[in-house]
Amino acid sequence: MLTKLTHWSRLKSPWILHLNTGACNACDIEVVAALTPRFDVERFGILLKATPRHADVIVCTGPATRQMKDRLLRIYEQTPEPKFVMAVGACAMSGCVYRGAYNVIGGIDQLIPVDVYVPGCPVRPDAVIDGVVKLLNKLKGIE
Amino acid sequence: MNDQFLIDKARENLKEKIVEITNPARRRIFLEVGLDDLLASVSWLKNDLGFTHLSTISGVDLGETFEVIYHFANNYCCLNIRVKIPRDNPLLPSICELIPGAILYEREIKEMFGLTVQNIPDGRPLLLPDDWPAGNYPLRKDWKYERPPEVIPGGEK
Amino acid sequence: MNFQIPIGPQHPALKEPIGLRITVEGEIIRDADIRLGYNHRGIEKLAEQKTWIQNVYLTERICGICSHSHTTCYVQGVEKLMELETPKRGLYIRMLISELERIHSHLLWLGVAGHEAGFDSFFMYVWRDREIVMDILETISGNRVHYAINTIGGVRRDLDELQVKRILDSLEVLRRRSQYYLNLGTTEPSFVARLARVGYLSREDALSLCAVGPTLRASGVPMDVRKDDPYAAYDEVPFEVCTAGTCDVLGRTVVRIKELFQSYNIIEYLMKNLPTGPIAVRAPRRAKPNEVVSRYEAPRGENLHYIKSNGSDKPERLKVRAPTLGNYAATIKMLKNGFIADVPLIFAAIDPCICCAERAVALIDARTGQEKIMSLKSLKELSLKVSPTTTRKREIEWPL
Repeated sequence: MLTKLTHWSRLKSPWILHLNTGACNACDIEVVAALTPRFDVERFGILLKATPRHADVIVCTGPATRQMKDRLLRIYEQTPEPKFVMAVGACAMSGCVYRGAYNVIGGIDQLIPVDVYVPGCPVRPDAVIDGVVKLLNKLKGIE
Repeated sequence: MNDQFLIDKARENLKEKIVEITNPARRRIFLEVGLDDLLASVSWLKNDLGFTHLSTISGVDLGETFEVIYHFANNYCCLNIRVKIPRDNPLLPSICELIPGAILYEREIKEMFGLTVQNIPDGRPLLLPDDWPAGNYPLRKDWKYERPPEVIPGGEK
Repeated sequence: MNFQIPIGPQHPALKEPIGLRITVEGEIIRDADIRLGYNHRGIEKLAEQKTWIQNVYLTERICGICSHSHTTCYVQGVEKLMELETPKRGLYIRMLISELERIHSHLLWLGVAGHEAGFDSFFMYVWRDREIVMDILETISGNRVHYAINTIGGVRRDLDELQVKRILDSLEVLRRRSQYYLNLGTTEPSFVARLARVGYLSREDALSLCAVGPTLRASGVPMDVRKDDPYAAYDEVPFEVCTAGTCDVLGRTVVRIKELFQSYNIIEYLMKNLPTGPIAVRAPRRAKPNEVVSRYEAPRGENLHYIKSNGSDKPERLKVRAPTLGNYAATIKMLKNGFIADVPLIFAAIDPCICCAERAVALIDARTGQEKIMSLKSLKELSLKVSPTTTRKREIEWPL
């Protein structure tokens, strides 16, 4: 009974953690703009949380730089199960313009498993909301 | 204040220290000095002409020599001082006593080109990651980077 | 002092990760140190392998908020290398986008400052009005960020009559809203008391540590690249350099709000005097061997690009100095002898474009040498708890 309750609450109100692994900031500003009155994701119950221990979904932007590699892995391990990763932006998907640079590994799927990819350079806030909805549908699929 | 005025003042005060002085565009002056005269020239610029703002320090790898350019700016123009250092003995004096704001730029150029900056107050690397192997200086022309092959999850290997 | 809070919290209004190490004695900061490099992508090395026109898109992605400033600075330099004469209409469109970018960046910063000071409604209001500017940018260029409106030799897209009229109408709305924020921000006593005398940087320190942008102008130094070294057509457009004399975070807020009003005036002048003609000239593939220094006034300060060519279709060396890097030495000076609770506000006041999402602040107790990691969120909560108990500073000189 309790699992059903937690599963329903996770579906109705996923809490997200926003992680920037070395991006140019454009995608981050658009993710934050999704909170502002024009797009307003909080009415869907999506809350931006400050610590990985509270989060259900990790929203990741930026190509993974070498310095951030250990931190990204550590944050991924700190987030409790079940967790989902959303790769936002062309940089997190494959590296965008930075492919071939010496400090960039590539997309974040080289390091952690990713569930949803949201393309764009930078992403529109509407696309971020769409990505979260698709993730929720995927969550429903494991019910 | 115009370009010609600054060039004349530089010629009359620095005299034989100047190797070359050019004015390729409006409000841009490029001044080359020898390595030993760098500190004297910077201190003259700061005290007499009032160029206290250092914008940045750039380095160029020219093969046999490294060229280090100090970009100074005041409320009229941008004056750039150039020094050349030999590749097999890359020593550079630090200007941090005259211009305290130069510390970050000197740290960056030290780690990117592998120069030795003498009397630098704080010589730690600035931008490269903690696990960067020593002896690799990314901005040298002979340092190449090969991207390791990437694995596409769920795709072809 | 023992704070046991795990690493890795994210801050809602975000930018990039850096690490701060602060040595404390009680509540007072004795020393600070910054660890950069989480964001280092190796762009200068990558730029040597791409052609001139591909680098326009690479430099755009150095920063997301001031993307147009990096492309314009680069393109100005390359046009000088290739000896091209950009047509007037192209220059005016470039300046229009520059000023729109300055407005959106300052509004973004105002929202972040309000959020750091604990004033969340202000944050939401300001970011809602920022959407007006994003809509204008989207109608002109097609994208909200990374406009890609520059090309070597001019701009890629033109303006028509309807867009000009729409811009002038939106300026009216923005002026009214900014006046409201000015009144709100200046007459709200708790907001003002939170910002006054925090992060003091004297005029001599600002000059010797080579600070740039509003951080420098809030210490009374009128240095602005648009006036000192005019690029594009800024020598034809009338505007003033905004300064404030209080040398603290309140002064920096005031400088940015004054610059907003100056930008509205500049845009009005540009739209009313837009010349006719072509918007771009054709650029060659190669540039002669030469070198050029290009400067630009980004919303955060002075942006400098040094470009060297060797006769081929790729640059020999591209050196980029982003404005926030120039302010780091000054930040360390500002943090010393301040309080821990002021750390988020001081850091936000320089408008960092390389700032911390995962800002883990390591506190080293100066007496025992013990190290504790404290998250930015808990620092902020501490600062919000501490501020109501500090005495209200009644005799604040108003920099306006």
